[in-house]
Amino acid sequence: MAERKIALLGQPNSGKSTIFNNLTGSRQHVGNWPGKTVEKKEGTFSYNGTTYTVADLPGSYSLSANSDEEVVTRNYIASGEAELVCILADASQLERSLFMLADYAGIQTPAMLVLTMTDVAMQKGRAVDTKVLEKKLGIPVVGMVAPERNEYDKFYKVLESAINQPRYLMTDELFMLYEEEALYQEALDLVPSVGIGQYSAQWLAAKLMDGDKVVAEMLDNKDVIAGFMEKAKNGSLITSDCKFAWIGNLIEGAVSKTKATSEILTKFDRAAISKTKGKWIAIGIVLAALCGSMVVAAPFMGIGFAIIPPLMSMVRTFVSSVGGPDWLASLINTSVCTPLGWVIAMVGFVFGVNLVFGYIEQVGYMARVSYVFDNTMNKLGLQGKSVMPLLMGFGCTMGGAAGARVLDNWGQKLLTMALVWAVPCGAIFSVVPTLATAFFGSGGVLVMIFLFALMFLHMFVTAKIFGRTLSPKENRVGLIMELPPYHKPRWKDLIRTTFGNVWGTFKKAFRVVVVISAIFWLLSYSFVAGEATILQRIGEVIEPVTKIFGLSWQSFMAFIASMISKEGVLGVFSAIYTGDGSIIEMATKVASADANITEIMAASISKAEGLALIVAVTFNVPCVVAIASTYQESHSMKWTVRIALYYVVTALILSGITYHIANLFM
Amino acid sequence: MKNLTELSEGQKAKIVAINGDKRYLTRVTSIGLSIGCIVEMLQNVKPSPILVYGRDTMIALNRNESTQIMVEVI
Repeated sequence: MAERKIALLGQPNSGKSTIFNNLTGSRQHVGNWPGKTVEKKEGTFSYNGTTYTVADLPGSYSLSANSDEEVVTRNYIASGEAELVCILADASQLERSLFMLADYAGIQTPAMLVLTMTDVAMQKGRAVDTKVLEKKLGIPVVGMVAPERNEYDKFYKVLESAINQPRYLMTDELFMLYEEEALYQEALDLVPSVGIGQYSAQWLAAKLMDGDKVVAEMLDNKDVIAGFMEKAKNGSLITSDCKFAWIGNLIEGAVSKTKATSEILTKFDRAAISKTKGKWIAIGIVLAALCGSMVVAAPFMGIGFAIIPPLMSMVRTFVSSVGGPDWLASLINTSVCTPLGWVIAMVGFVFGVNLVFGYIEQVGYMARVSYVFDNTMNKLGLQGKSVMPLLMGFGCTMGGAAGARVLDNWGQKLLTMALVWAVPCGAIFSVVPTLATAFFGSGGVLVMIFLFALMFLHMFVTAKIFGRTLSPKENRVGLIMELPPYHKPRWKDLIRTTFGNVWGTFKKAFRVVVVISAIFWLLSYSFVAGEATILQRIGEVIEPVTKIFGLSWQSFMAFIASMISKEGVLGVFSAIYTGDGSIIEMATKVASADANITEIMAASISKAEGLALIVAVTFNVPCVVAIASTYQESHSMKWTVRIALYYVVTALILSGITYHIANLFM
Repeated sequence: MKNLTELSEGQKAKIVAINGDKRYLTRVTSIGLSIGCIVEMLQNVKPSPILVYGRDTMIALNRNESTQIMVEVI
């Protein structure tokens, strides 16, 4: 079977990911470009006996070298790895989105042009004649509606012909426009006349006019180049002028306007983008999204949680029937059965969030959120739309992590997830107020307010610390973004892409949860009845250290157990103080806490330590399933571990400070 | 000549000059706002980013940077 390699190149909102997902389905591999905080997406598909590998290049508005995404895209094309580049353009905004094609002109890799959203263009009264464009461009052109499955036959046919008879973009008319500019002639003299690799001399010269630093570094004669760059300060105004003039000529005769443009801003949009109302609408929609994802997740959660008890008793019966030891049954139950149920529930919730956020994104509303929250989120080094996953975090941290997918920049996606961890989730809201009331009575309300204040401080500091690498200052630029027109949702496509990789998501998360649960089991299983667990022994030995952070060994164990699940914290205390029930069963919520546990705790733990404990649990790493979903979304074990360690350390520091200050007053 | 943020809502203008470093120029031109482009101001409320319509596209722009885009009302 023959193997071919192609790349997808297009601006944001050009339908690139839709095409990539429809082409490759679940045969995708997502990782990072070596040494870059940029996501690398590759996938495969077969057509007519040929296997194609597709690289989904990061979306950007041009091929300049302003961001890592753009540099990665360019280097990939320059490497010549792809035999064919499919350049995407939105037919409904053809003039603007053909800029990518104009920027590509002069790169000597065969290309084809894919016009997407031809249906939207038709609604707007724009008909595009692909035959005319083909003639003017010299490369195959195909128009399609990317989310429609039956549109792909057209695409495959054109692709097959494009790859078997490679054709190059005709660039003469664009270069003629360039040549009228004296500055361009000067630039042309500075670059090798044979070009460099896939880059032709003309492409290099135009980029030099744009002030492209990466291109400048590729050239000899640094002083002359530096002098030229100084002189060509406004060079990109000239090149863009030429490019749009060329595009104008292309479109003439290829696009017919049948309708005048209707009203630009609809009534809803007026509200959605307004300063205050827009924010409230966004918050309301996140709440609705949370409920919506719960509905999608409910069956999964039901199955997930329902299978745990019968599975466990099956394991117990089986192990004892073959004469296996008790600890084996316990190990299997803790590190396989419970994780299995949890991960099934998690996958359901992650899909729920992806489906709902995918919907919001697909209809075009997500960009409005980005717009109204731009000022606010910018302070954390994030785009406006990261407010959506952050708000989602109040419901469930894994939902927030899954929702971070809406960020198109990998560094910002990871930074958003790192901040979502600081947002107290629903489970914390179910435990912490109980603890706070147990220790402080009606003063518990003040504790909650204190926690919210700490949350903002935490997020601010965390954004500063991780922002340095994940969203570096020099990459933070003012907002320049398209607000796409509203589209009708494409349910079939949404469901297909959301559920396309069930198995992959499940496997990845399951592995993480199994490993962490097994470690926790080993630490907290009492092999001999009544004897202290490893965790307890360690806790007792290092108690002088944990005391610095305000935590007795009992509290420290609860802190460790809260990494498995937050709801389990009360149960763990119950097991420790009443000597009834095992810590593992409590932490994994199999058994329930003693009814009087809050009174027992209030009697045995001082107020200052209680407050320190509340802080430690609230700002500890989220539950094991949320860690797994962060890993699943970021594809980076290194960063997941790094963020987790950071959270453990900061939670202890915060509880230490809280304890010592509280001790002065309590 | 005005800068872009001085346009009031509904006003149409033609871009006549863009100032700023090379990075800004390539970014703003690649989304379609080049010299000669005609834009309509859709929303201009401080301190939110401004919202303009040009080349069939609704575009949100950082307010501070937009003072570097010079326009002539038409």
